[in-house]
Amino acid sequence: MVEVDAAAKARILVVDDSSLVRLYYRSTLERAGFEVEQSINGIEAMERVLSQPIDLVIVDINMPRMDGLTFLRALRCGPSDISSLPALVVSTESEMRDIAEARASGANFYLVKPVAEAELVRHVCVLTGVSL
Amino acid sequence: MDDRDDGGSRAVRISSEEVERFCDFLYRRTGLSLSEGKRYFIDRRLEERIAATGSPSFRAYFSLLRADADHEIEFLINSFTVNETYFYREDHQLRCMTSNLLGTIVRQRPSGSTIRIWSIPCSTGEEPYSIALWLMENWPQVDNHNIEIVGSDIDTRALTAAANGIYGDRALMRLSRVIVDRYFKPIADGRHEIDEGLRNSIEFTRANVIDPKDMARYRDFDLIFCRNVLIYFDDASRRQAAENLYDCLRPGGYICLGHSESMSRISPLFSVCRFPDAIVYQKPEADHG
Repeated sequence: MVEVDAAAKARILVVDDSSLVRLYYRSTLERAGFEVEQSINGIEAMERVLSQPIDLVIVDINMPRMDGLTFLRALRCGPSDISSLPALVVSTESEMRDIAEARASGANFYLVKPVAEAELVRHVCVLTGVSL
Repeated sequence: MDDRDDGGSRAVRISSEEVERFCDFLYRRTGLSLSEGKRYFIDRRLEERIAATGSPSFRAYFSLLRADADHEIEFLINSFTVNETYFYREDHQLRCMTSNLLGTIVRQRPSGSTIRIWSIPCSTGEEPYSIALWLMENWPQVDNHNIEIVGSDIDTRALTAAANGIYGDRALMRLSRVIVDRYFKPIADGRHEIDEGLRNSIEFTRANVIDPKDMARYRDFDLIFCRNVLIYFDDASRRQAAENLYDCLRPGGYICLGHSESMSRISPLFSVCRFPDAIVYQKPEADHG
């Protein structure tokens, strides 16, 4: 298990339509000392980032109602306090063009599923500026 | 039949003929096969229902039951189903799931595809929650697929308890301290409430495994856990259950039975698969029905 300084807690929003995937990421990140919020699609995620301070979004691509890339494009066009929010895309899509499209939509980093616990925590630390 | 006064508490005596009629009724409605040999078990539960409904006699209760007044059949089924279980029961099958079965299931599928797992009967939820917990803790591919877990039971009272997700120490006895701390919150009376995320990851529904109409609503499962229920059925009901479960599986899907149960003795529909941790039964790939 990877643990970071609990005092340096950052709040992470996990956006994924699979409840078990959300649970896996939440469980991993909470054990590492992060606070975790969850949304099941891009629409819910947008409401969440507009209503409470979030330090990083972890976004799946394929989701019903509003997919992850549409959410990221909306986020980047949003109010200034949320438009620069770091975003980690985690998806089963693994083609170079998927990664390029995610970057063009506003992803700061892209991981292909499955993502091991340590790998997830390491990237979240880098993107939130929390030291391991 | 006669009524007797039993030290102030009213108890109803039930004749052998009445028990026979009752068992016949229970069998036709649920597939549960009970006989005179289970007399104590039957009497205890019947007395409980007779008292609960305020019926003056077995005959009065049986009329009420056949008319299904106030959903009495459901209450009766609830009292006759056995809901004693615990987390990580027969965990060698869970190990087999992550070591062998899921790998075979996902081999032909793209990442992100849906995997459907069914726990029937799920009783008070320990089994479907165990499946989710085991996947979280032991399957590195857990975020690479959309896993749907359904828990079904004939007993609506058990389903309500499953959805509430509150357990005593006994149900948690096989879980490590780390798992309990990670996924359960202690509440009053030494009980534990399961993590909300876990609760939301299981869909609980009512289903009767021997009722083809009921079972027709359930399709495309990759893996079914149907443990320790077929032992309560007679041969005809077992065969019906096996055929129903067969139709609920995708071609190539697997079914896990309880340790004392053997599909080979029930139905020729499935192939036997021997893995290091467990023997499971598979619906042949070639069958697209």
